Amino acid sequence: MNIWDSFKIALSSIWNHKIRSMLTMLGIIIGVAAVIIIVAIGQGTKKQMTDELFSTDKNAIDIYYEYIPPEGETEVFWQEPELTSEDIETLAEVPGVKAVVATNQGWGMMTHEDEQGEMQITGVGAEFFRARDIQVVEGRALYAADNDGLNRVVLIDTIAREKFFKETENPIGEIIDLNDNPYKVVGVYESPLPEQFRNKETGEMLMPRTVISMMFGNREIEQLQVIASDPENISETGRLAADTLTVEKGLENGQYSTNDFEDYEKELNTMISLLTLLIGSIAGISLLVGGIGVMNIMLVSVTERTREIGLRKAIGATRSKILLQFLIESITLTSLGGLIGIGLAAVGSILVSEFSPITASVSPLIVLIGVSFSALIGIIFGLLPANKASKLSPIEALRYE
Amino acid sequence: MMKLSDITKVYGKGSLEVPVLHGIDLTIEDGEFVAIMGPSGSGKSTLMNIIGFLDYPSSGTYELNGEQIASAKESILAKLRNEHVGFVFQQFFMFPRDNAIKNVASPLVYAGVSRRERTARAKNLLEKVGLGDRMKHLPNQLSGGQKQRVAIARALVNNPTILLADEPTGALDSKTSEQIMKLFTQLNEEGKTVIIVTHEEEIAAYAKRIITIKDGRITEDRRVSS
Repeated sequence: MNIWDSFKIALSSIWNHKIRSMLTMLGIIIGVAAVIIIVAIGQGTKKQMTDELFSTDKNAIDIYYEYIPPEGETEVFWQEPELTSEDIETLAEVPGVKAVVATNQGWGMMTHEDEQGEMQITGVGAEFFRARDIQVVEGRALYAADNDGLNRVVLIDTIAREKFFKETENPIGEIIDLNDNPYKVVGVYESPLPEQFRNKETGEMLMPRTVISMMFGNREIEQLQVIASDPENISETGRLAADTLTVEKGLENGQYSTNDFEDYEKELNTMISLLTLLIGSIAGISLLVGGIGVMNIMLVSVTERTREIGLRKAIGATRSKILLQFLIESITLTSLGGLIGIGLAAVGSILVSEFSPITASVSPLIVLIGVSFSALIGIIFGLLPANKASKLSPIEALRYE
Repeated sequence: MMKLSDITKVYGKGSLEVPVLHGIDLTIEDGEFVAIMGPSGSGKSTLMNIIGFLDYPSSGTYELNGEQIASAKESILAKLRNEHVGFVFQQFFMFPRDNAIKNVASPLVYAGVSRRERTARAKNLLEKVGLGDRMKHLPNQLSGGQKQRVAIARALVNNPTILLADEPTGALDSKTSEQIMKLFTQLNEEGKTVIIVTHEEEIAAYAKRIITIKDGRITEDRRVSS
């Protein structure tokens, strides 16, 4: 007698009591479906939140100045140290740093012929284009010489090009007016920002940061960002860069720091794990109840089939074979319930993804866990009834009315 | 050959003890046709259960082909039930959802015989007991006599040396009983040891040796010369 024979006996016995088997499986079905759907939604939510938090650049990290007042003093006014191109060169040499993005910001009223619009201007260096992977669609990018020579040149994004220039018109070399000063358009670029963050009204523009500093009175470098060559070590690289800068600048009442995304991510993970655990344990209880239902029905089944067991023993079934038969029956019952539950969860996930912003996805791993867990329930809760069946005395079982 | 010496069987414990068999000494040679007779409550079925490895004696020894099995492990008894004996019961005891072939082949499942051979042997035996045209029938589509033939085929399927029948004709009419008993006689002539438990004289008359039991003791053991 092999497992396959036992399995077939089990299947036919389940099939012969369709309604009873279905009701018995219901607890397992609901439990497994609940666990899988909840985990799927949890993972979907986590993915969505992570994507939102780290949408711009997975391997970029901001470096900012932090003022530390001398002991005993609470100074309100403090000056941020000036950063220069040399500092950026120093940072670029820190191990693990692929590129340094140094920018400043300005707003300006751009006028070209009849069109006018408020524009956000980002002051950048030549390295910006490579670091941010900016696609220049017309004209050229900025050169280091543009910064050094304070060239009054700008790149406009595709949105601005559409607003201020006709499609047939060549914007390259055109002079535009920004806050009543003339600037030359040298290129058109594709904004690297995600769709929802773009300024759809007027678009944006890039300009040498030295020019912004001169024209708007800003500091040359307002935002500093380090791009790590290995996203895995982003926090480490960021810290190293910040520390290097602190030492380089010889700061006493202040330091450079980084936003540790890892902390955010960890917090987020803990929250989601906790939630998953909580709801998971509720689903676990449902599985436990389902398991008890399986045990109950298996005990009924053993009693009902006492004569069958007696007969099987009379024709040579050993205790272990009877035990195996009933164990396989309960495992089949719960695994089948688990499979149906997974199917239900898959349908549920599709519905959730369709009708809510969350993308719930059933991972193969969770399916595997679901089936193994329901099989395990079959073993645990089938053991008692199967043991009872195997210990029946053959003559008493045959005499059972 | 089986040799039972001083076999006793007591049911219950302590003050509720009910002795059923008192010191049974019995030797049955291979190829015998034995009827065990006695009124109900005499202990004849208990004796048959012990002979057929379905039950343990409370004391005494049971030697089968020179080996002691009175206190053998359950798994060994299960193997003996599978290989050495075939049972035929008064109530037939079929697997109600399996057809005749599957019912006959059922002991072979536990003997580890391949599906193909199980089916072949079962078909062969169903032909032998005259049910060649009923092979695919379910038990509830068979008459009592036909069910008992299926049961006999099942008892024979693993080629045992001993056939044990407990009131095999108890639920059958006299004409069918006669056919069944002729089948047992034929099987005995082919070399099987046949042991039948009955309380009917007419059934016992088919046997060549009649053992009478009363109150747990053998009161008579006579051989019938045909």
